[in-house]
Amino acid sequence: MAHFLVQTIWLVPCYALIGAILSIAWVPGIIRRTGPRPSAYLSSLMTLLAFLHGLVALWASWNQPPQQLLFHWLSVANLELSFPVEISSVTIGATVLVTGINLLAQIYAIGYMEMDWGWARFYALLALFEAGMCALVLCNSLFFSYVILEILTLGTYLLVGLWFSQSLVVTGARDAFLTKRVGDLLLLMGVLALYPIAGTWNFTELAQWASSANVDPTLMALVGLALLAGPMGKCAQFPLHLWLDEAMEGPIPSTILRNSVVVATGAWVLIKLQPILALSPVVMAMIVFVGAVTAVGASLIAIAQIDVKRALSYSVSAYMGLVFIAVGTGHSDSALLLVLTHAVAISLLVMSIGAIVWNNITQDVTQMGGLWSRRPISGLAFLVGAAGLLAFPPLGSFWALLKLADGLWESRSWLVGVLVLVNALTAFSLSRVFCLIFGNQTKQMTVRSPEVHWPMILPMMVSLGFTLHLPLVLKSLSLLPEWTAGNKGVGIVLICSTIVGCSTASIIYLGGMVHKPVQLVWKPLQDFFAYDLYTPELYRLTIVFGVGLVSGIIAFVDRYLVDGLVKLVGNTFIVGGQRLRYSNSGQSQFYALTILCGIGVLGMMLGWPFLSHLSLSYAP
Amino acid sequence: MLSVLIWVPVLGAVIIGFWPDLMSASRARFLALAFASSLIVLTVVLLSQFDLNHAGMQFSELIPWIDTLGLSYSLGVDGLSLPLLALTAILTWIAIYSSGESVARPRLYYALILLVNAGVIGGFVAQNLLLFLMFYEVELIPFYLLIAIWGGTSKRGDAAMKFLIYTAVSGILILAAFLGLTWLSGSSTFEYKSIITAGLPLITQLILLTMLLVGFGIKIPLVPLHTWLPDAYVEASPPVAILLGGILAKLGTYGLIRFGLGLFPETWALVAPGLAILGAISAVYGALAAIAQKDIKRMVAYSSIGHMGYVLLGAAAATEISLIGAVAQMVAHGLILAILFHLVGVIETKVGTRELDVLNGLMSPIRGLPLTSALLVLGGMASAGIPGMAGFVAEILVLQGSYSVFPLPTLVCVVCTGLTAVYFIILLNRTCFGKLDNSKAYYTRVKWSEQVPALVLAAVIFFLGIQPTWLVRWSETTVAAIVATVQVNSQQFFTLIPQPLLPSREKGRKRKKSDSYSPLPIWERGWG
Repeated sequence: MAHFLVQTIWLVPCYALIGAILSIAWVPGIIRRTGPRPSAYLSSLMTLLAFLHGLVALWASWNQPPQQLLFHWLSVANLELSFPVEISSVTIGATVLVTGINLLAQIYAIGYMEMDWGWARFYALLALFEAGMCALVLCNSLFFSYVILEILTLGTYLLVGLWFSQSLVVTGARDAFLTKRVGDLLLLMGVLALYPIAGTWNFTELAQWASSANVDPTLMALVGLALLAGPMGKCAQFPLHLWLDEAMEGPIPSTILRNSVVVATGAWVLIKLQPILALSPVVMAMIVFVGAVTAVGASLIAIAQIDVKRALSYSVSAYMGLVFIAVGTGHSDSALLLVLTHAVAISLLVMSIGAIVWNNITQDVTQMGGLWSRRPISGLAFLVGAAGLLAFPPLGSFWALLKLADGLWESRSWLVGVLVLVNALTAFSLSRVFCLIFGNQTKQMTVRSPEVHWPMILPMMVSLGFTLHLPLVLKSLSLLPEWTAGNKGVGIVLICSTIVGCSTASIIYLGGMVHKPVQLVWKPLQDFFAYDLYTPELYRLTIVFGVGLVSGIIAFVDRYLVDGLVKLVGNTFIVGGQRLRYSNSGQSQFYALTILCGIGVLGMMLGWPFLSHLSLSYAP
Repeated sequence: MLSVLIWVPVLGAVIIGFWPDLMSASRARFLALAFASSLIVLTVVLLSQFDLNHAGMQFSELIPWIDTLGLSYSLGVDGLSLPLLALTAILTWIAIYSSGESVARPRLYYALILLVNAGVIGGFVAQNLLLFLMFYEVELIPFYLLIAIWGGTSKRGDAAMKFLIYTAVSGILILAAFLGLTWLSGSSTFEYKSIITAGLPLITQLILLTMLLVGFGIKIPLVPLHTWLPDAYVEASPPVAILLGGILAKLGTYGLIRFGLGLFPETWALVAPGLAILGAISAVYGALAAIAQKDIKRMVAYSSIGHMGYVLLGAAAATEISLIGAVAQMVAHGLILAILFHLVGVIETKVGTRELDVLNGLMSPIRGLPLTSALLVLGGMASAGIPGMAGFVAEILVLQGSYSVFPLPTLVCVVCTGLTAVYFIILLNRTCFGKLDNSKAYYTRVKWSEQVPALVLAAVIFFLGIQPTWLVRWSETTVAAIVATVQVNSQQFFTLIPQPLLPSREKGRKRKKSDSYSPLPIWERGWG
């Protein structure tokens, strides 16, 4: 039975897809009698099914050698496109994570979206995401990874645009789609360019090829950079990080999914691509550079945000930056571990702040305060989530960060500094958010704030429990790094950075010494971070302006020059015709003369061979 | 069989056109639909009888006609024209169905549409150059009338005239090229098979090929020969625009591959780099011009120019995959353009405007047009090449097939798919998203019967996107035969590819790879 479930693991995305298709039946205008709620129950049920399937399969596949299944898709000329399904404990584990978090998010949404009418669309899209992500982790082909990422880009557009009648949502959806699409298309260029060199799109075969390949370094660097752009877009790395922030206009239940696992799809593809990218040192350096810049930059931006969702979303970018660093230095294991612990912790954090935002109406942390006594459960969830995200022993991310720092210590110790800095900054940022929401006195927006109802609390508690138990789970699977003498120093530095970050924030935001709202000494610097390093303006002034200008010029050229030229020719003929009209006198003698001349010329032409022959014979 | 395909619509046109009594619009539509449906049935029969492993012409028919001219009634279908025949059958049905119940002068209207249909089918199956040209020219008058009589605004006359003149010029150029081709190559007839250009001097071939390219380039249309298109598409009523963009433009791309590539296999290599660049330029130009448009129909019209660029790129590269992709792109583009034009037509009738600045919030479930908007999102995304839909399959084949021959134009085309997404996002954000103005939103409901064409097309687009085998299987054998004839100067080929991709010790492995799959075009395989 268990073996059968392992063999049919490809059904996991299918469950979700079926759920998505069935949910559509409850969009307004098709099934009216029941209201939209059944779509949620149905979709959650399918996700539960997928989760249980994955769980049993994970148990059965543990310590088993990976297997491959091949689904035929298209074969044209000599191009064979098959969908290879890789069945290993890692891929099955990833589907369990995805379906599990999606199950929690869907239950959470039953509570959060209580008053909404767009349930069918929302649940269909969540299920689409689940299907896409499960298919992505199971798929062992670069081409199909690209295909799925592209479909998910469309999914992001529709999911962020769920509340499409608000103008900010519309622009957010647009930016999310276009930024991700830029990454996707660069990835597509890489995908196209890789095939003629490597002759395959299968990740396993690519890795084999990469181990013995000897390619032109310039070409490989270009291909590698193009391939890198896809994960950069998905993981919201500089300079394609804009969309994650804008996507916060969407509903929070989708944010749970997005911030924890959707961004991780990029990391997953990056980890899969690592052997190929490693062919070019330039690309590897670029990965580390992008990751480091994003990690530090995004954690600084997170501190300057007053919107609580945005503060969290920049921390996500920062942690994905750390994952990039891990992949760029060849520590794929640490990267996977960090993705896992990050996903669990951040989903708990988002659930917690979702519960706060839901009945306080505002997302502005400066307008909140004093909720600890009223919202202990949400507060506890936030604390545990933060502890799970930071290097806070014995919770999950500590081990992931420790493993990474330990690996980096030998070769590139300056990156350990980045790690410690990012951890400290994120600790500061999360403590700041916690103090502002839960600490101090109540404010106008937080006076009436009871704890939320069970559909939101239940998934939050499950998630909380899982975050707390994650180290035990990892230990039982023997995935935790050893706590040896060698890495003790690094571990202590990490713990210290957490303590420094948290305590500094607590002193500033809880104590009365600093005037609120807290201002940096130099206002422009604060604005610089608060407005996301002015990236939106930068884009508006460069790319958006450029494309707009060029398209305007082309439209002008098209309308007035190309088409104008055609019209000019046409008008010339018309005018010419009208002029010529008057050259006809109407006298029959004139016409007769014209006809005569015409016949004469025609006769000359037709008889020319004969005439010329005549002239030749008379010449001598 | 093929004659039946041509003459059934002609018969329909005659019956409807010369119906003794006044005929109500709905009855004329019903009759026309019956004929169109019978065409679909016939096409399905044709598809089921088609031998996939036979590269040459099938279902051939040959009746001598005017021997002195070299004109004969010679028909045949192969993998290149078969998918287009199926497309024609579907889109004619869609166009007739979406014409609505109350067309003015219904008998003439439906007769003309059926005539157009007959002409296009004739063009796709004609195996005699003069016969092809006759079918090619027969389109003009019906289309002129369809635009000029049933068009949108007061500018429809101008648009129709522009279309007529452009296409007539295109016909003249093609006629000249055909005459030159036949006479210079010493062939006694205009039979496609009997014409061999191999013996002609290079310069003559080039001149003839250029004439053909310009002639078909007008029809496709390629930048800068495209200015008839936006006007004609926008002025035409949606069903006519579907026929214009979905079917008629395909005569151009079909002709380009059939007569350009098919008759000049040796010279093609000389013009191919230029064509690839032209394709890329068309794609960029169409996409950028679409971004600046304020009228959604005009936007869709310009998108059509952009998408034809991919077909040209695929044809220019002339590898097996790129050519199959080009054929697939013709079909996919026809379907996607049809769904877009249909939906734009629905929005125009219900909301009363096509202006981007006026439209807003049509996704709104109660008072907007939710299903129409949802389908518009789908159509726009299909056009932008989102996987799972037919457009993606076609584009990926064109791009993958062309990359090894023309890397740079291919990458430019990839960028263009991004620009396509930009203008469709603009379109969708303005039209479907946003806040519906409740004081103005008193639209008549879109009936289910009005959604049928879009639903049918969406189903086909999805089906072909998920099961692309059904899109590409028809043309594989034929395309392989065409590619086998193409001779390309291999030195030029080597300058285009970044050189040593695999080191010498990998040579043996490379050769093994190229057996199973060769990203390199066929002429390169002979080298290895």
